[in-house]
Amino acid sequence: MRVRALVLKEFLDLQRNRGALLPVALVMLLSLGMPFVITIGVPLATSQHLGEDPGLVRVSASAGPHGELSADARVQFFLFQQFLMLFLMTPITAAMALAAHAIVGEKQARTLEPLLATPVTTGELLIAKVLGALLPTSAISFAGVALYFAGIAMLGAPGVLRAMITPRTALLVFVIGPAVALVSLQAAIVISSRVNDARTAQQFGVLIIVPLAAVLVAQFVGTLWLSTGALGFIGLGLFGVWMLLALLSVAVFDRESILTRWR
Amino acid sequence: MISANRLTKRFGSRTAVNDVSLEIGRSEIVALLGPNGAGKTTTLRMLAGLIAPTSGTVAIDGVQLTRSTGSMLRSRIGFLTEAPGVWDRLTVRENLMIYARLYALERPKRAVDGMLERLEMTDRSGARAAELSKGLRQKVSLARALLHEPTILLLDEPTSGLDPEITRSVRRLLAERREAGCAILVSTHNLDEADRIADRVAVLHERLIAVDPPATLRRRLATGRILVRIAGDPSRYADVVRRFDPNVSIEGSVLTLRAPEDDLERTPALVAALVAAGAEILEVRHETPALEDVYLHLVSDR
Repeated sequence: MRVRALVLKEFLDLQRNRGALLPVALVMLLSLGMPFVITIGVPLATSQHLGEDPGLVRVSASAGPHGELSADARVQFFLFQQFLMLFLMTPITAAMALAAHAIVGEKQARTLEPLLATPVTTGELLIAKVLGALLPTSAISFAGVALYFAGIAMLGAPGVLRAMITPRTALLVFVIGPAVALVSLQAAIVISSRVNDARTAQQFGVLIIVPLAAVLVAQFVGTLWLSTGALGFIGLGLFGVWMLLALLSVAVFDRESILTRWR
Repeated sequence: MISANRLTKRFGSRTAVNDVSLEIGRSEIVALLGPNGAGKTTTLRMLAGLIAPTSGTVAIDGVQLTRSTGSMLRSRIGFLTEAPGVWDRLTVRENLMIYARLYALERPKRAVDGMLERLEMTDRSGARAAELSKGLRQKVSLARALLHEPTILLLDEPTSGLDPEITRSVRRLLAERREAGCAILVSTHNLDEADRIADRVAVLHERLIAVDPPATLRRRLATGRILVRIAGDPSRYADVVRRFDPNVSIEGSVLTLRAPEDDLERTPALVAALVAAGAEILEVRHETPALEDVYLHLVSDR
């Protein structure tokens, strides 16, 4: 009940401050547009087929044989799979924009003290802050993924969309995506509880992008292809990390310091 | 009822509150006075369970405030913070509805409507908090503190910066809550307010210097003098007054005589004697110090 009330407050606040979601929407639009420019637009503009590039053909083999697809379609499939990872960036952007501001923002607006004077517990407050940022950004992220697949259906080579619909993709979209979001949001909340201005929280929070970018680059150069099983383990690991961070965020949330020492 | 038992709070080497014991009963308003930095807000925060005392305890209706009882006991407390702390982008109604749900009220909408009506804010319920004047924001935060009908009210400067009309409505509301059995602690710099609303006044300067009803505090500085203002020349009646005090003094149209606190029953006899002597009495009053004088005396004495 109390968590629901606080999440509602976050939604109402966001509804009146849509600009806060602008970075998330921009990242989503970039994630949506860039794959089609590279995979469809550039080959069309240069009249060079993706399947004729030996480097790309070699790298795309790491995504599996997919003998039913043409050479062009195999490369497209590989690239569309890799670009799917970009959608994981969307909630991270949200974490920076919303969650980093969560506690610091309440403190700076002097709204935290009356809130802490209610029966709300630290755990409830922090869960609400995470959900308040996670739900809208996940909605934007899922909408982006849906548009992405619609684009592949319309512009991709025959068979690419069908090849894309796999347990691996589902795992990426429905497990890894939310898990990465949870970890990044929770990390941002931990940071937001320990620093006394939102900019510092954002600067620390942006570090979460580093491991994700490393995975993305490794996949693009073909040195790493995360299988369905590997992604499953990573998903479990991420949820584990999230739970640890959730416990940590409650432990490090020092009401007294926040109320008496932050200015 | 809320009681503080030997509360001490230190921030590093600085002691903000030292060994404060105070009990506020049902249907009682206690005004907490003290200079800036005297520890008033820290005391209120400890009583509200927002910060833990370095030593000492707080109990509400006999239940000690601890980490495990904090959430449950906070539901009995209405806490008005120094700053209104309302969510600017939300409307007045939305602000209150969120809090009504945080306090798990059975009929949140009804509670909010009722409170808006009591504070004469129904017509502003759809306004965003950012659009409100300081006074109205303060009213919203007061509504928020009262929404769940707490048995304990802790108010930090509730009328600071408010216009006289809103101030009066706030005081009326506090009087209503007192009638309803609430134990109320009001931190204020406004001595007139303390005098008007408080049953007892607690003067804090790191330690509690005094806790007494305003009249009792005043007696500490009482001069024990009666002032009689008379039309015409007062010296004509000096002999009459000397029967009551041989050391009567005359200044302008005023005769001043000493009258100890326990000897005030002589006043009617004095008035009768003066009237019998033909004096036209314009005013008779016992000189009592203002609460401000008592407060300044207590604080400077420390």
